[in-house]
Amino acid sequence: MPYKENDLNKVLYVEDDADIRAIAELALQDVGGFSIALCSSGAEAIEVAPDFQPDLILLDVMMPEMDGPQTLQELRKIEATQDTPVIFMTARIQRTEIDEYLSLGALGVIPKPFDPMTLADEIRRIHQAHA
Amino acid sequence: MTTAANDQLQKRLKLLQDRFVERAQGDVETLGHFARQIEQQQLSRTDLVECYQLLHRMAGSAGTFGLPELGSAARSIENQLKPVVEAKARKISGHEGSVALPADVAMQIHELTALVQKGVSQSKAKPVDAKSQQPDDTYEGSHGMQVQVMALAHDTGYLSGLMADLQGYGFATEVVSFSEPQAAIDELKQRSGATILLCRDFDLSDVLGFRTAHLEKNEHRRFPVVGIGRQNTFESLYRVAEQGATAYFSEPLDLPAVAERIESLALERGARPQGRVLIVDDDKELGERYCLVLNNAGMKTRLVSDPTKMMSALSAFEPDIVLMDVQLRAHSGVTLARMIRYEPRWLGLPIVYLSSEDNPETQLDALAKGADEFLVKPVTDEYLVRSVRIRCYRARQLSDLMNRDSLTGLLKHSLIKQEVERELSRCRRTGHLSCVVMLDLDHFKRVNDTWGHGQGDVVIRTLAHLLRNRLRESDTIGRYGGEEFLVVLPHCDPTEAAELIDDIGKRFSELLFTSGDDSFQVTMSAGIAAINDFPLASEAIEAADQALYARKQAGRNGVTLYERQDVNQDD
Repeated sequence: MPYKENDLNKVLYVEDDADIRAIAELALQDVGGFSIALCSSGAEAIEVAPDFQPDLILLDVMMPEMDGPQTLQELRKIEATQDTPVIFMTARIQRTEIDEYLSLGALGVIPKPFDPMTLADEIRRIHQAHA
Repeated sequence: MTTAANDQLQKRLKLLQDRFVERAQGDVETLGHFARQIEQQQLSRTDLVECYQLLHRMAGSAGTFGLPELGSAARSIENQLKPVVEAKARKISGHEGSVALPADVAMQIHELTALVQKGVSQSKAKPVDAKSQQPDDTYEGSHGMQVQVMALAHDTGYLSGLMADLQGYGFATEVVSFSEPQAAIDELKQRSGATILLCRDFDLSDVLGFRTAHLEKNEHRRFPVVGIGRQNTFESLYRVAEQGATAYFSEPLDLPAVAERIESLALERGARPQGRVLIVDDDKELGERYCLVLNNAGMKTRLVSDPTKMMSALSAFEPDIVLMDVQLRAHSGVTLARMIRYEPRWLGLPIVYLSSEDNPETQLDALAKGADEFLVKPVTDEYLVRSVRIRCYRARQLSDLMNRDSLTGLLKHSLIKQEVERELSRCRRTGHLSCVVMLDLDHFKRVNDTWGHGQGDVVIRTLAHLLRNRLRESDTIGRYGGEEFLVVLPHCDPTEAAELIDDIGKRFSELLFTSGDDSFQVTMSAGIAAINDFPLASEAIEAADQALYARKQAGRNGVTLYERQDVNQDD
């Protein structure tokens, strides 16, 4: 793999669509070599994150009940994830909205649809840029 | 990434893509319904929001699943709806008028159907690819359920004959001589399921030595050794047991019994997922340690250190068993176990206490309140893994017991009927052809009367094994009645189905059953109907049954396809 070894190993992915979760599992685990936890809602992420202790969290923006930005706010209240880097995934790629997510403290925004073969590289690239 | 791993990955990607296309077909159908409402100016506000969300989801996902055109078309419509959705949202809620949208939008929505269809034809247009990517789903070669048997010997003469007989039962067999073991080793190492190693009793120690030398110790379970010998004395049995053979058969061989043992060994020892364990312990370090130990042993775990989160963790994780610390700081494990039992869906879930309590009286008290078993702390890692694994295995056995027929291990009557219903709705959604097959043993009463019910059971089980071995993993098989079987063959046209079942029937009729010094053969009849031809699953089953009846009238031992006129003439 053409990336430098760094501290990015465990990735938590929050997405309400089961089909997307399944393909993300392939993209992150099999292609990307990450160790991953998949959550179907913000509430589940908040529950799982302290045990899983992710190095990075991927949040889908549009989810029922607790959306991506709300989930981020809740995660920041938990000790285990108060500094964990977060990347948003969104199908809406308007400049104003991207700026809004970044101002919430996200490391970056990955547009959907993503390419399962390059998603992991994209994450590593964003993470490296902020390392 | 190795080529094999990459192939595997591509295969899984393809599967997910197919599933997405299937779902997208349903989605565009829903959208088409909204489009018609737009045309009639009757789209309600709730429907507008739902339509918008559906488009948004499609825009964000279609590209990932290889349908970028569908994704960008959906995005374009989504963008046109956005201002309307947002304007409506600003108005007072409860306003339930219909929403006016340009007819052009409806047209664009209708056009999505063609783009999804393109995805369908894409996946069908490359038959060669599809085949190489889905070897589990073809009738040639080995299927998902086919049991692997490998004979190992210095002199392969005798076992070659036995293996040829076993092939008749549908096993994938191979004979390997000790003079050239390398190919066998390479192949064994690649296999993920179980492989039964068969040998003569005098080669037993060499075979066991071969297994020790070439396969990891924790893999030995998947490669049980079955010995074949001449003697049936206490001494000879003791000797093979002492050496470590998993099973032993003496001559003259009872072939159905050998086949049955091989089948059950393979089922029991295949590399199935090893279990999901929910751990409730407020000592986080200890809990994490348990997780780690169980993870390393191939089990999936989830730790709950805050008991108030336990119920939601249960439904999110769906464990096979729960490991519960009996005394948490602020909560009692006993009370938590009782709480779990409040949910009907967790009534059968095994709960195992981790406790330092070794007083049997107190243990009994806890058991009465809802837990199933105790593990007394401190436990060694190895003990933890083994006891949890056994309990997961038992939990799965229990659910199999509830869903599967005890004699054959096939789905029970009600479940296989449900399976026909599910396949019918899948057919409707995607338009593929599927068949339902009704199978029946010929003159089975005669078998029971002549050879006894014990032999009758052997015949039924043998047909069940043969079906499992010859059909694909995606096919479902159920025991419909006494000697009747019902099989669902998805993505299979009637001609193909008839050939397949006919082949199974031929193989079955060649099998020799023995009872004492006598031997006998049994044939079977089958009726096949195309599920797609019927509005109801029950009618498809009824049609297959009628075809079976026609076959019986026409002399049994064969396959008949359902055709309305034929059946009427027979009547």
